[in-house]
Amino acid sequence: MSSIFMQAFVRPLSIIYPMAKRWLHRFHGGVFPKTYKSLSLKHPIRSTVIPEKLILPVKQLTGQKIAWHVAIGDTVQKNQCLISAAKENKKGIIVPIHAPTSGVIHAIEMMSLPHPSGLSALSIIIKPDLKDTALNNVLNVSGKVPETPQQLKDILLNAGIVGLGGAGFPTFAKLPNQTGIINTLIINGAECEPFITCDNLLMQTQAQDILNGAIMVAQTLGIPSIICGIEENKPTAIQAMNAAAATLLKNTPNLSITIQTLPAVYPMGGEKQLIKELTGIEVPAKTHAIDSGLLVFNVATFAAIFKAITLGEPLTQRLVTIAGLGLKHSYNTNALIGTPFLTLAKAGEPIHPIQTPLIMGGPMMGFQVADNQVPVIKTTNCILVQPPEPATETIVMPCIRCGECMDACPVNLLPQQMFWHSQAHEFEKVEKLNVFDCIECGCCSYVCPSHIPLVQFYRHAKSEIKHIHAEQQAAELAKQRHEFRLARIEREKQEREARIKAKKAAVKKQASEAEKPSGASSAKSAAIKAAAARAAAKRATQQGSEQNVNEISPPPLSARQKAIETAKKQAAAKVGSKVAPNKDPRTSAKQAAKKAAAMAAAKRRTQTNHENNSDATSKIDSKQAMNDKRKQAMETAKKRAAERKARKAEQEPPK
Amino acid sequence: MEEWFISITAAILIFVGLAIVFGLLLGYAAVRFKVEGNPMAEQIDKILPQTQCGQCTFPGCKPYAEALAKGETEVNLCIPGGTDTMILISEITGLEPKEVEVTEAEHKPKETAFIDEDVCIGCVLCIKACPVDAILGATKLMHTVIQSECTGCDKCAPVCPVDCIDMRAPPVSLENWQWPEPTIKSEGEAK
Repeated sequence: MSSIFMQAFVRPLSIIYPMAKRWLHRFHGGVFPKTYKSLSLKHPIRSTVIPEKLILPVKQLTGQKIAWHVAIGDTVQKNQCLISAAKENKKGIIVPIHAPTSGVIHAIEMMSLPHPSGLSALSIIIKPDLKDTALNNVLNVSGKVPETPQQLKDILLNAGIVGLGGAGFPTFAKLPNQTGIINTLIINGAECEPFITCDNLLMQTQAQDILNGAIMVAQTLGIPSIICGIEENKPTAIQAMNAAAATLLKNTPNLSITIQTLPAVYPMGGEKQLIKELTGIEVPAKTHAIDSGLLVFNVATFAAIFKAITLGEPLTQRLVTIAGLGLKHSYNTNALIGTPFLTLAKAGEPIHPIQTPLIMGGPMMGFQVADNQVPVIKTTNCILVQPPEPATETIVMPCIRCGECMDACPVNLLPQQMFWHSQAHEFEKVEKLNVFDCIECGCCSYVCPSHIPLVQFYRHAKSEIKHIHAEQQAAELAKQRHEFRLARIEREKQEREARIKAKKAAVKKQASEAEKPSGASSAKSAAIKAAAARAAAKRATQQGSEQNVNEISPPPLSARQKAIETAKKQAAAKVGSKVAPNKDPRTSAKQAAKKAAAMAAAKRRTQTNHENNSDATSKIDSKQAMNDKRKQAMETAKKRAAERKARKAEQEPPK
Repeated sequence: MEEWFISITAAILIFVGLAIVFGLLLGYAAVRFKVEGNPMAEQIDKILPQTQCGQCTFPGCKPYAEALAKGETEVNLCIPGGTDTMILISEITGLEPKEVEVTEAEHKPKETAFIDEDVCIGCVLCIKACPVDAILGATKLMHTVIQSECTGCDKCAPVCPVDCIDMRAPPVSLENWQWPEPTIKSEGEAK
């Protein structure tokens, strides 16, 4: 092809113009750092060392519950499941953790994480018993290729497989639910970071496993073609993969497998860069490779998938490069997940005692860990041990707008513009310059003649922008809630007023009714008449007795007799009141009115309560519905307010 | 004589006609494209932090925005918003920018209210004070704050009779951790 001609042309040219090498690959920019790969490539893969303790951090996310299958003091076997996502989680992004070796759960406590923040997380600490007794086929697989994508996803979830290239996104969540969506499966064998050789060695030693894993995924998801991209500086790996592909292709005639040699440029291993290089497709911003019909996994991920499907073996160890200029013997090893960094680093015989922080990842994208005892996690591909830095600090010079970073950016961004705006805290402008498409590869910082830590600025800007968005959302929510509250208070006030009004109206009505005697109250009036007659008779007898007293003057009544008399009178009065309870028609009317008003109010209350209840139930349905309800309520409240205003305006004509 | 008269009347008629036409057009436009409410107030309301804290002496963010739109108040009263908000307000309203009085609150991480549930007596005073209904509870029953809804306005803390509410910054977790801003030592500063 023309590439041979191009290479012949570029090679001599690159001596006087090094960046001519950028013409050999299809994506924009890129840099050519010294690789140092031979340091760790010289030695064969070292056998697994079981450390004194294994630290397994448990990823915790708000709103995601974890099901614990072990407690402190339990004895666990290799491959035993320690935690998994609780069943009540709607979408599980928590992948299970399995015991990397047999031993005792020593503690479950907060331990420092291999994360740039240096934060701690709850971790399971296992004291290995060094017997390494294992449970076989813990995933209960048949060893056959899964029939549906869902079956494959279940296996990958239960095996705890995440993207081993570096991002660590759960692999099962990346897979589509239907067959036929993906047309190309890409095996990412481009290991572009300096020092790192673990993928290279994996391809050399387990090429069959990698390709078998890829074929299984392709068969399950109905993918017709597999492309594996490997950089030209890994000739042994290319050879091994080609040999494996040749033997495997005989068994799968309807599948095409291509092993493609790529130019060695950093960051070839970036997902979108590799896609562009292999297929010419530029995955649009804010979309994923899957939206373009592509699925990309790292070689290590495919090897893990193969082991999970055929052996039912969960992900408990991975190939890690321990390299750096600070080591006498850089090497690769199959490290158990949870092995402390320092244990692995010491095995490489450091030239100087390790006092500076170790680096997880390569020199371009890696970060310093806060504590050298942090464990190897599933995404740890390299532990970099660099010699102590010279005391003279590299002085950051001002940006001279040379544009080198812009030429180097593999995503076609404008790093110098983003830098200016980040420095000035104009995060809106940084966002407009698509800072979220930045893959933080570090090419811009690498080429910067002023040694400006550009990527640090973009990382900071990204977190700030996220924070600003979260605050805006919170403000919007607070506004809605405040307005809803105001509307509710207004509504309650109106309801109270309406209740009082209704009460008053009811009282008036009752009073007017009581004044007119009606057929129904004839019995009452008869009773009143009878009571009146009785009272008159009593008065008459009293008068008579008084007269008698005056006339005959009987002997004075004893105190006892007097008491009897008064008791009798009281009883009579009681009976009278029972017969004619409504001595005062006005009070009875008042009582009746009160009752009626209370009834009406109660009815209204139950009605509103009912409405509220129905509101509440529908709220539970979904947040969207709740928002709609809220909006509706707001709307009605607004309308009501508008009506009220209009009424007021009518009542009080402007002067 | 007649020509002159005709030309003058024609001119007058044309202008009167034009005046009527444009008057009608303007009158129609005023009815058809009438803007409900004050657009400036809404614009200001959008940039206010919506804590509803009332530190501006207005009962909420919206009343302050409305007062600002009418030009009845100062631009520097929003304390949670700080200087950034003040500058935005002055840009919208065209009012003179002024120093925000309390600057110590600026760039302070957002705090939310926490109720010490052992001490709470269930008096519902804080529930009434909360502008966003973020406190749950009932009379003589324990109260608690819905953390995701709390705006950190600090209105509930002073009304508590047993002083069981305090404002706390959320703990730093992997989810809200931020990359620090790189500090650059330029050559001039290094010397």
